[in-house]
Amino acid sequence: MNSEKIVQYIQKHCIADDWTLNITKDDSHETRFAQNVITQHIAGAMKEISLSVSFGSKAGSCTVNQDDEESLAYLVKTAEEIAKLAPEDPEFVPSAGKMDIPEIVNCDPQTKALEPKQLVDIVQNSINRAKTYGATVSGLTEKHIETNGLFTKNGFSGEYEKSDFGHSMTLKKDEVETKVAYEAKNFAAFNLETLLEKLFNQASTLAVKQTFEPQKIAVLLRPLALQELFWFMGWMMDRRYADEGITPFTDQLGKLFLGEKFSWFSTYKQPTLLAPPFTSDGIIAEEIPWVEKGVLKNLSTSRYWAKKIGSKPCNNYNMFIPGEGYTEEEMLQMVPRGLIVNSFWYIRSVDVKAGEFTGTTRDGVWYFENGKIQYAVNNLRFNEIPHTATKRIIATGISELANPSSLLPAMLIDNFNFVDKTSF
Amino acid sequence: MKYLDLAMNAAEKLGVEYADIRIQKTTEQVIFLQNLSLKHTSNNVLQGFGIRVFKDGAWGFAHSNVFSDEAVLATVKKAVETATLSAEVNKTKKLRLAPERSYISTYKTPVKIDPFSVPVSEKIDLMMEVSRTMLAYEGIKKTLLIMIMHKDEKLFASTLGTRLDLTTQFINPMITAVAVTESDSQSRTFDEGGRAVGWEWILELDLIDKAKQIAEEALIKVKADTLGAEERRSLVLDPNHLGLTMHESVGHATELDRVLGWEADYAGVSFATPEKLNNYHYGSELINFVGDNTLEGGLATLGFDDDGVPGQKWYIIKDGILKEYGSTRDTALEIGLIASRGCNRATYYFNQPINRIPNLYLLPGTKPLTPGELIADTEDGIYIQGRGSYSIDHHRINFQFGGDFFWEIKNGKLIRPLKKVIYKSCNPEFWNSCDAICDERFWRPFGVVNCGKGQPPQTGRMTHGSSTARFRNIRVGGSQ
Ligand SMILES: [Zn+2]
Repeated sequence: MNSEKIVQYIQKHCIADDWTLNITKDDSHETRFAQNVITQHIAGAMKEISLSVSFGSKAGSCTVNQDDEESLAYLVKTAEEIAKLAPEDPEFVPSAGKMDIPEIVNCDPQTKALEPKQLVDIVQNSINRAKTYGATVSGLTEKHIETNGLFTKNGFSGEYEKSDFGHSMTLKKDEVETKVAYEAKNFAAFNLETLLEKLFNQASTLAVKQTFEPQKIAVLLRPLALQELFWFMGWMMDRRYADEGITPFTDQLGKLFLGEKFSWFSTYKQPTLLAPPFTSDGIIAEEIPWVEKGVLKNLSTSRYWAKKIGSKPCNNYNMFIPGEGYTEEEMLQMVPRGLIVNSFWYIRSVDVKAGEFTGTTRDGVWYFENGKIQYAVNNLRFNEIPHTATKRIIATGISELANPSSLLPAMLIDNFNFVDKTSF
Repeated sequence: MKYLDLAMNAAEKLGVEYADIRIQKTTEQVIFLQNLSLKHTSNNVLQGFGIRVFKDGAWGFAHSNVFSDEAVLATVKKAVETATLSAEVNKTKKLRLAPERSYISTYKTPVKIDPFSVPVSEKIDLMMEVSRTMLAYEGIKKTLLIMIMHKDEKLFASTLGTRLDLTTQFINPMITAVAVTESDSQSRTFDEGGRAVGWEWILELDLIDKAKQIAEEALIKVKADTLGAEERRSLVLDPNHLGLTMHESVGHATELDRVLGWEADYAGVSFATPEKLNNYHYGSELINFVGDNTLEGGLATLGFDDDGVPGQKWYIIKDGILKEYGSTRDTALEIGLIASRGCNRATYYFNQPINRIPNLYLLPGTKPLTPGELIADTEDGIYIQGRGSYSIDHHRINFQFGGDFFWEIKNGKLIRPLKKVIYKSCNPEFWNSCDAICDERFWRPFGVVNCGKGQPPQTGRMTHGSSTARFRNIRVGGSQ
């Protein structure tokens, strides 16, 4: 059954006062390789149909993954039964009404046309090149075509398609471990040779390693490392949690709360960035500044909270951080000494109110002095507060795609707080 | 079910070395309450089948949610085509499967009251009362309650002749109280991580009593002192806290696929490499870790894993020495094991199974010792309850953990509550610093229901357990 038929079924059979219908379809191919061997290989299509209904402010939901009439009848009946048993919800909001949905190209025909054999050839070529280099390579080569539809009783009707292609490689040679990855909605910008060159270049500069003690030191954080760190900060940038006094963003809207060299936008005007036109509950993607030159401009606001405080709902749907355009070489000249960090791993909140996080470095850390990389060093653990770290930004690079939803530059940040080291 | 034979016959005709089909229906009921607003109450049913074939040293896995002869045959064909593509790449190094016999068996999680038979209104009423209980405390500004009831019904068949009918389920209540002052917010959570039991467990738990306790403790915590600079002190860790510590620093480190580098690109590898087997001092002589997929109430007690290998019980660390790993049919032979330990599990029908942590627990101390006696015997230290911040490197060596509730211990007494405490340690320092474990009367199981691993990511579940234990000379201090 296609989406239109499912919607018609719900319109005909759902007797609730209000309803919201989400239909998600995903067709995937995933080739997983490790130590130069394919270890997993997955193909298949999925569908999920979720219905939320309400009688007055009493709400209930159900999800199924079959679209025959019997399953849809179960979907409607179950959601309605739950809703009838539920208490009145003091925070109830009606489903989204008819809205103008921005036209955003999230699906690339070339990505969509990729055949399994092409994906496996990329894996084969990667393994062959790693073997020639005397190394092993592990990673994931994947393709997803996903469709998301949202339909409501109040007239919201939208469906969009998005594509995703990814190829990651972690190289291991003796004690050296390092990683490169490409993931984007567009396949066109993927170049295996460029990626392999970057991988081997990283590997060669990691061969000589020295012990480095944890300390506060300037760091050049590459886009992938920053993306992970700011994603966790972004997860805390919620209006309700701020208003309720739970996060560091309480009473900070409109104030210079972050560093002046730091801005963060969600945008659908950057062609390489994935930008879902609406959320699963119908918040439309808009051009939103979250932080502009250090001033906290907006916080993600749910539909309920927006209604309560008389504001507009908004959702942080992607990360565009503009950069000043400095090259890595130029930034290395700006401080006497520091570290370059490729990426972070296992970032977790340490203190919600302070906005403090911990995590370790991964896939390459280099010590630089006098504007030049001197040697590679062991991995380190940090405890850091990202929003205060933005006040220590010395310079920023050129924005590049770290993953389909994040376009941001490398940043040189002073006095980054490393607190422990690992033995590798 | 006719599709089992249809799929296996079709796979054999296409010349595979091995094939299996897993028809899986996952039913989940989720109730999420925030303060007195029921944010989400849903019943979710995901069903379909995954077909896995092994051919020329390579896997192919295909899945479908369409139940028809044509869809089953098309999915077999797709799995074989996928395996054929993999085999081209694996020509110079083929995967191998450890031998296994066939089984015809059934398994059902023993439950007295099926949670799905309890009216949803009864569950909501209970949760509303729990939430009201916490909100009645002045200073508790927010409550979060989640109740998850989960059931997997699986039919499994393989070309070895195995036919399995498995129904497993678990239930997981979580309650959080958030206390907010002018300058801080602190939460306290009741979360035992889920258990493979029925609604009878919820009735035994007395959630109202738990709600009062965590609300009171959240209020104590938000006004508690913080610790100063890091010092080396003793830690007394409760079983719930240790559940997560052992999960991260022992469980993941002893998954054989990580040891082999199969997770190198994302979840990471392991320092506990095969040359360390039978000689590496992972912990002090008190440390005995058992893998046990037969544990009553265990989240990984499923009868059989998704390789069709039965649940087993074995030592992973014995008297402090690393003995073995959790393994699967496709990893076991790589280090010369003769059979899998039955740790290959998939989350949903559309996931290819991966090497998972078994139910893994620390055996209790053999000498009589109560947590009270252990604290009384500790001169200077921190007592940590519950789970908080946790982070470990991708080799599973260096870690930093917080907790959910903290007390300072001086001269054998709990002298003041604390907040924002974190400790840093590493393998093998941490488990070697253990000098006391309370006895079996105080052994408690704790589940993990959100173990993220794999590409594409899957959410695994397993149970850990221990008695309260002491660790000497660990770096502990306040966060920034
Ligand atoms: Zn885990």
